[in-house]
Amino acid sequence: MSVIASDAVIKKEAGFEPLIVAFCCNWCSYAGADLAGTSRLNYPANIKIIRVPCSCRVNANFVLRAFQRGADGVIIAGCHPGDCHYMTGNYYTRRRMSLLKNLLEFIGIEEARFKIDWISASEGNKFAEVMNDVLAKVHQLGPNRKLRDSRWRR
Amino acid sequence: MEKIREEIKEIVRQALASKEVDLILAWEKGQLWYDSYPAFFTEEQGVDSLVWDQFCVNNLSKYLLDDGMAGQKVGILVKGCDTLAFNQLVQDNRIIRDNVVLYGLPCSGMIDPAKVRREGLDRGLIKIKKTGDQLIFVNKEQQIKVLPTQVYYDKCLTCHYPNPVIYDRLIGEKVANETLATHAGRFSAVEELEELSTKDRFAYWDQQFSKCIRCLACRNICPACSCEQCTFDDSELEILGKAKENSEDKFFHLIRAYHVAGRCVDCGECSRVCPQGIPLEKLNRKLIKDINELYGEYQAGLDPSIKGPLVTYQLEDTDTFTAGERGRKQK
Repeated sequence: MSVIASDAVIKKEAGFEPLIVAFCCNWCSYAGADLAGTSRLNYPANIKIIRVPCSCRVNANFVLRAFQRGADGVIIAGCHPGDCHYMTGNYYTRRRMSLLKNLLEFIGIEEARFKIDWISASEGNKFAEVMNDVLAKVHQLGPNRKLRDSRWRR
Repeated sequence: MEKIREEIKEIVRQALASKEVDLILAWEKGQLWYDSYPAFFTEEQGVDSLVWDQFCVNNLSKYLLDDGMAGQKVGILVKGCDTLAFNQLVQDNRIIRDNVVLYGLPCSGMIDPAKVRREGLDRGLIKIKKTGDQLIFVNKEQQIKVLPTQVYYDKCLTCHYPNPVIYDRLIGEKVANETLATHAGRFSAVEELEELSTKDRFAYWDQQFSKCIRCLACRNICPACSCEQCTFDDSELEILGKAKENSEDKFFHLIRAYHVAGRCVDCGECSRVCPQGIPLEKLNRKLIKDINELYGEYQAGLDPSIKGPLVTYQLEDTDTFTAGERGRKQK
């Protein structure tokens, strides 16, 4: 897999290296990441992928815990609605994460830090695009201090 | 209310005498004027101390989960908001409906002692009478007439279910709903916060959450928070440590609110019991508001046979995170 971050992102702020956690569904988005890699598409090394069986495996605890323990951004990627390997999983994700996203915004977390998107196994391009996009936005926002545990050290 | 109190006592005595129920959950008067706390009645003779006044705000439904209730036929006095909580517990399979006898009590609102104190009405207070639309606070020197809106709990002012939605026996007359027709306005505080900038909103909530002393009273009182094992009780998970850590406070409050999303009956007990005065109802109402806007109007606890919004889905659901036609909801 290519792990070279795009130049634009690297130049922006040399001092701050965001840490981004991406929960990728095993059947679509993880395969999408694979495709991005085999297609030699650039996406940054700041993205740490955690493979989950389905996007609905991710619950609010995972997201908050990631923020608490050092993540500057969190991404959840799953199959497009209708394509779920388990038939209905991502329909639940859609409802749950819509609410969680609004709730995080409501307590004052920047909207760009938490991204949910549908990425299928054939969308290597979209995968790289989404990852670069989130990284660029998080770079602009700076480190996540709002939800981070003050005892956390990288 | 005094009249109904005697009626309640009579019914409770009869129910206990005829062994219709093994015990009854009700309220008893404490030492202070505003003290009406939950009580169990198993003996006919003890019923004299039963009380029904404008301080019986405690929701008794959750006491049905106590270990001691297992295998017993339990009678319970319920107000409108309590019946929603009861239904929610039935829906969550925590209570068997047939083991419980519900005595419904229409309720026009409960008095908030904090507001009474703020108005200075508690000095030398002898009793509180209700006549028509007004409350009369009687002390040694004078009688002070007060509008209920001045002293009722905030949650009672936006109450939409003054009458029990489910009961086996109704005691007293049903009260009219129009008097408390501010239900639609319950989201106004949420909307005010939504208008603020991200920075201001964070400043607000950061300050609120940092007040938390982690007494877990909000969790313990909540009729939707009824798990047998709670993740916040597990010290090995290191979710809630002993050190005062702001991120853990936020974690706790977000998860608490999110965990009851779609099951919260909006009874307002969490913010009532919070000793630090954190406006927890705003978090719950934000979730209720979003559910209503995105996935259709839903009132938890109204009908246990309807599935909650987060355990079901529609193929054509909208979301708040993808761009395009069905993208973010415009404010």
